[in-house]
Amino acid sequence: MRVLLANFEDVMREAAARWTLVAYFALTTIFIVIFASAVNLDIVNGALAGAKLFGKEVQMHGNPMAIDKLVLGFESGFSAVIYLLGTFLAIFATAHLVPRLQEKGTIDLYLSRPVGRTRLLLSRYIAGLLLASINVGYLIGSIWLIVIWKTHVFHPRFLLGGVVILFVIATLLAFAFLVGVVTSTTAVSIMSTYAIFFFAAVLVGHERIAAAVSHEWQAALINSLYWIFPKTAELGQAVVALVSGGEAPERLSAVLTPAPFVTTAIFAVVCLVLASWLFEKKEF
Amino acid sequence: MTPAAIEVSGLRKTYASAFGRRRIAALNGVDLRVAPGELFGLLGPNGAGKTTTVKILLGLTRATAGTAAISGLPVGDPESRRRVGYLPEGHKIPGYLTARQALSIFGRMSGMDRATIDRRSVELLEKLRIAAWIDVKVRKFSKGMTQRLGLACALVHSPDVLLLDEPTDGVDPVGRREIRDILREEARNGTAVLLNSHLLSEIELTCDRVAVLRKGEVAAAGTIDELTKKSPKFKMVATPIDESLLAGFRSTGAGVERVNGHLLLSVTDAEHLNALIDRTRAAGSLVTELSPMRSTLEDVFVDLIKASGDSEVGGADAGPARPPVSVGSASAELPFAGNLSSARNHEDAQ
Repeated sequence: MRVLLANFEDVMREAAARWTLVAYFALTTIFIVIFASAVNLDIVNGALAGAKLFGKEVQMHGNPMAIDKLVLGFESGFSAVIYLLGTFLAIFATAHLVPRLQEKGTIDLYLSRPVGRTRLLLSRYIAGLLLASINVGYLIGSIWLIVIWKTHVFHPRFLLGGVVILFVIATLLAFAFLVGVVTSTTAVSIMSTYAIFFFAAVLVGHERIAAAVSHEWQAALINSLYWIFPKTAELGQAVVALVSGGEAPERLSAVLTPAPFVTTAIFAVVCLVLASWLFEKKEF
Repeated sequence: MTPAAIEVSGLRKTYASAFGRRRIAALNGVDLRVAPGELFGLLGPNGAGKTTTVKILLGLTRATAGTAAISGLPVGDPESRRRVGYLPEGHKIPGYLTARQALSIFGRMSGMDRATIDRRSVELLEKLRIAAWIDVKVRKFSKGMTQRLGLACALVHSPDVLLLDEPTDGVDPVGRREIRDILREEARNGTAVLLNSHLLSEIELTCDRVAVLRKGEVAAAGTIDELTKKSPKFKMVATPIDESLLAGFRSTGAGVERVNGHLLLSVTDAEHLNALIDRTRAAGSLVTELSPMRSTLEDVFVDLIKASGDSEVGGADAGPARPPVSVGSASAELPFAGNLSSARNHEDAQ
């Protein structure tokens, strides 16, 4: 536990010293403050009778909107944005953890302690994940509280979206750690993780792509890659579907099956096991 | 029997290129034994295998063959590092940490509790004269201060074994002396210190015993006195000295050299020396000074490396290795003893 806490403190202090993270928190806070101060809603009997955005009246055309639906719509849309932004920022803020650890002159200081290599790597992984959780939790939690304050609508499903986002971050961070162990380069870790994110998202249409290719082996390869890589597109849809609940369109609700979660979790575990194995074997 | 603080036996390490086409032997069967409380110096030119030896001891790299243990525990076991303090050369303590935070993080990674770390941190930083900087970020430290902090990180958990790579690098002369005193104090308290340095004078001033690595093998080992023992060379001041006398000396097989008004005599033994003195006096000359010459560690080191006939940096191609030189803790073999006679004299250099 001491090792984990020491690593967590190290990761947090480094994060605090890095301007990227400070900038992220500053921008997020500015967004939250603007959001909180700019939106003024007039709610009558659970319906939105009037709204002011940046002090300007929003035309309702005499049709009051159900506030519950409005909140649901906002939170669904916003969760999709956070899925993309939160994931990218979390990877950007944590992908350096392994390359920096492996720097000459630094790795010796850590490995000369009575800590197994796998334990050291995994404690940094957990620390990185906690850091990402704080980032995502801060943004989602603040927006959720502001929505409750402004609308009095309590919608805990919005937080469920955060859990899926963290699951995706955990998966991609495992991959970034694997690349970091192999290459010791932060830039390569970040770029390859983003590439996996987009490539895996494209593979959501694997059936159509496989049907379009000319050779059977190409189709088999595409289908295999689909099952190997994390299901970034499906999990993005799952975030929106979870937040929307029963209001979600059917095409989104259809992804709420165990398959994307299980295969993505397997990808993450394989990446972590491989990263740990390579880190154990690596000579410094 | 108390286990050795550091015990290395038949250690070999071969580095292979990406596809194994070229193999470089960094260590070719190294045997070392460092006892608790001993200050041991590891010397050698670049690529001799010093750093590889230390890295194997720390589990940073793995031996191809042979065994290495710290306090009786094989180095593959992370527990072997619980009582080890390490100061790497060119270490990078994260610049975003303060000295206090760095000691806290590395102390906890060694299993210490916060209260002990706090007490020990203040104590160590005071001893290393950087206590005033305890809450300053490491990035603001000078090189010498960073080095002192590195030493504090290595000492924070009161280790039984200290592995130090160029510990006085960048430190001013006063600081060097202070670090030497600290190392001696640690050794007095039972800590085994393995010092890896290019500063031979530093090793000579600090260590009880040394081993010289050359091409991945222990070329020589022993106490400083053994290695720099009085060579069969003598400085003689006598007047008058003419060429016929010198020719007489040479006829006995002695080496004779005129240096700055005195003679440098290479003799086989004490009897030979006395015979030369008799000749001098018989020739009517007066001997006013006769003193044995002593080599410095640097002389020994340079001769050893020259004796290898190869000043190339790096290890040798892997192949059948010579049997390793066995280094006992009490009496060391001196396989290069013959070279001592050709050692350049320290006094001459002055």
